Amino acid sequence: MTMTLVIILGVIVFLALWFVGVYNRIIGLKQNVENGWSQIDVQLKRRHDLIPNLIEVAKGYIAHERGTLEAVVKARQQAVDASGLKDKQQAENFLSQTLRSLFAVVENYPNLKADQHMLKLQEELTSTENKIAFARQYYNDEAARFNTTVQTIPNNIVAGMAGFKSYEFFEIEDKAQKEPPAVKF
Amino acid sequence: MPYSFTKIEQDKTRTIGFVFVFLIILYFLAAWIIYFVSKVYFLSEGEHYAHYAAAFSVSASETLAVLGIAFFIGLTHWFLATANLIPRLCGALQAEALNPKDTYHQMFQNIIDEVSIATGGRKIRGVVIPTGAMNAFAIADFEGQAVIGVTEGLLTRLSRAQIEAVVGHEAAHVVSGDCLNTTVAVSLFEVYATMLSRMKQLAKGVDGRSSGRGGGYVAILYGIIWLVTNVSYLLNMFISRQRELRADAVAVRLTRDPLSLAEALYAISNRWRGGGIPGEEIKAIFIVNPSYSRLDEGRGWFSDLFSTHPPVNQRLDVLLGMAHSDVATLEKGLVQHKPKQRIYDPGEEQIGREQISSPQTPMKQGVMAGGLPDGATNATVSREWIAHKDGHWLGPFTAEQMGTLDWLRPDSWIKCFGTGRIMMASEDEDVNRVFQALYGARGSKAAGVDCPKCRIPLSEISYEGVPVLKCPRCSGILVGETDIYRILIREDFSFSDRIAKMAGVIKKEQAKWAIGKIDLKTVNLLSCPKCQHLEAKMVRMFYSLVYDVEIDKCIFCGFIWFDKDELEILQYLVEKNTKKEI
Repeated sequence: MTMTLVIILGVIVFLALWFVGVYNRIIGLKQNVENGWSQIDVQLKRRHDLIPNLIEVAKGYIAHERGTLEAVVKARQQAVDASGLKDKQQAENFLSQTLRSLFAVVENYPNLKADQHMLKLQEELTSTENKIAFARQYYNDEAARFNTTVQTIPNNIVAGMAGFKSYEFFEIEDKAQKEPPAVKF
Repeated sequence: MPYSFTKIEQDKTRTIGFVFVFLIILYFLAAWIIYFVSKVYFLSEGEHYAHYAAAFSVSASETLAVLGIAFFIGLTHWFLATANLIPRLCGALQAEALNPKDTYHQMFQNIIDEVSIATGGRKIRGVVIPTGAMNAFAIADFEGQAVIGVTEGLLTRLSRAQIEAVVGHEAAHVVSGDCLNTTVAVSLFEVYATMLSRMKQLAKGVDGRSSGRGGGYVAILYGIIWLVTNVSYLLNMFISRQRELRADAVAVRLTRDPLSLAEALYAISNRWRGGGIPGEEIKAIFIVNPSYSRLDEGRGWFSDLFSTHPPVNQRLDVLLGMAHSDVATLEKGLVQHKPKQRIYDPGEEQIGREQISSPQTPMKQGVMAGGLPDGATNATVSREWIAHKDGHWLGPFTAEQMGTLDWLRPDSWIKCFGTGRIMMASEDEDVNRVFQALYGARGSKAAGVDCPKCRIPLSEISYEGVPVLKCPRCSGILVGETDIYRILIREDFSFSDRIAKMAGVIKKEQAKWAIGKIDLKTVNLLSCPKCQHLEAKMVRMFYSLVYDVEIDKCIFCGFIWFDKDELEILQYLVEKNTKKEI
C-alpha cells in the first residue's frame, strides 16, 4: 500500500519536475525569438528613418526623376503604417524593390554617386539592409528551434498545456533570391 | 542545436586549467633543474665523493620547497599575463581605436554591428592596425569583453562582402569561446617575448659599456630566457589548429557566404600577411599565420600538435566545397581592384594641365634649384613681380596690384624682378600679406585651424576616407601623423597624367642624385597651424630617403603639411613602388 503510494508520488514529482524543466526551456527559446524579432523591428525603423535623408540628397541632383523618388516615399509610408507580420513582410519587400530601382537610377548620375552625403547614406543603407537580413536570419533560426522544440514529442504535451504557439517565419518575396542557384558540373 | 553554452563554458575552464597546470609544471621542472645543478656544483667543490652522493639524493622537503617556489613564480606570471589582457595585447600589436570620421572605419564598425546581430547581439569592439599587411585577429578576456581587429591593408583591398566574411570568422572565435583560450595562452607567451626584447636592450647596453663579467651574466640570463621562450612554443599544443576550421564553419553559418570567406583567405594568403609587423610573435590569434610556416602547411600528428593554423589549402577546399566551386574558378572570378577616377575641381585641373604643357614650366624650387639663377641676397632692390598665367609671364605688378588679380592664386608662379627667383605667390612675404588682408576680411578667421600659407580657415574634407584639413584656396592639405599611413595604403583613386609627369621628374632627379638637400636659406619655414600656442615652426624635409617629396612637418604634433599636388605625388610614388615589388 505505502509502496504504491511512494511510487505514485515519485511519478508525480518526476512529471512535475519534467514539466517545469521543459516549460523553462521553452520560455528561454521564446525569449531568444522575441529578442530576434525586436532586433528586426529596430533595424526596419532605422531604414525608415534613413530614407527621407536619402530622398533629400537625391532631390538635389535628380529632381526630374519624379516617379522613382515618389515610389520610394510611398513605399516607405506603407511600410511604416503596416502592422502584422504578413503586411510588414509585403510592405518591406516592396520598399526594398523601390530602393533598388532608385539606386539603379543613381548609377546613371556620376555626380550624385560621388556626393559625400550620398556615399555615406548608401553605406548606412547597405549596412541596415545587411542588419535586417542578419536579424531575420537569427529570428528564423531561433523560431525554427522554438517550433521544433514545441512540436516534438513529448514537449508538445507541455506546449499544448501551457498554450505555446509556433512562430511564423519572416520570409522574403524576392524573385532574385528565391530562384535556386544554378549548379554547374 | 549549434552549441550549448554550458558545454563551451566547461571546455573553456578545462583548457585554461590545463594551461595553468602546464605552466606550473614547466616552472617546477626549470626550478628543480636549477636547484639540482647548483647543488651538485657547490657540493662538488670540496671534491668529496660522499657529497656527490648527497647531491644526487634530493629529499622530499627540498622538492616541496622547490615546488612552492615554482608555484609562486607561475602564479605571478599568470597574474601578470592575465591582468589587463585586452589593452596589453592591443598595445603589443599597436592597434588603434576606430576613428568615427574615417569612412573605411565607419564601414568596418557597421560590419561588426551587422555580424554582432547575426550572433544574437554579442558586444564586440573594433580596432585597426595601421599597416599595409593583410590580416585579422580576435581577442577576448575573462570579463567577456571582445575585440576584433583588422589591418588597414585588409580594409583597403578586400570587398565589403569579403571583410564581412572575415569579421564573421573572428566573431565565430568570440562566440564559440575558443578565443579566450587562445588569448590567455598567447598572452602568457607574450610576457616572455616582452622580457626577451627587454633583455636584448639590456644586453646591448651592457655590451656598450663593455664590462666583461656583466656581459657574461647577461648572456646567461639571455640564454635562460631564450630556452624558456622556445619551450613555451609547447603552449601551442593547447591551441588546436582545428579551431580555425571550426571558426570557418561557424562564420559560414553566421554570414551564409562561404565564397567570400574563401576569396578573402585566398587574397590574404597570397599577399603580405604581416611578417615583421609588431606583435607577430602572438600569431595564434590571427586568421592566417602572419609568417609563412611549413609546419602550418603540413599534415600529420606532428603538425597537428605544434602548428597554430591548418593548411590554407585545406580551409579553401572545405569552404569552396560548401560554395560548389573550386580554386581555379575562384582565381578566375577574382576582380582586380580598380581605382576610381579622381574628380577634380574643373578649374583646378585646367590650371594644372597648362602648367605642364608650357615649355618653360617652372617646377618647384626644391627640384629645380640647381638650374635657376638664385640671387636672394639683393632682395631689397626692387619689389615688383611678373606672374605666370596660361603659359605666359604677365606684369610687372606691385604687391598691391597683385592682390587685385582675380586669377592669381597662392600657388601661382611668380618671379621677382630684383632677384629673378621663381617661387609660389604664397612664398613671398609681401604678396602673402596682401592675400591675408584680402581673405582675412572675408573668412571667419577665429574658428578652427588656419592655412599656414593663406591664413584662411582650413575646411575638413574626406581624403581617401581619411578626415584631413584642406585649404580651399591653395589646395594645401594638413594630415595627421598616423593618418598619412592610411592615405598611402588606400588606393581609391587613379592619378592624372600631370601627377604622373611630376612624379616622373622627381624620380629622374632622384636617380641622378640631383636632389641633394633642401636649401633652407631660401625657405620661409611655416608655423604649425595646430601648435600656434607653442609658436612652433614646421620643419621642411623630404618625406623619406626613398620618397623625395618635400613636406613640412611639425615636430610637436607630427602633423604634416602638403602643398598642392605634393600628397598626390607622394601617393603616386608609393603606389608604383609597391606594385613593382609584388
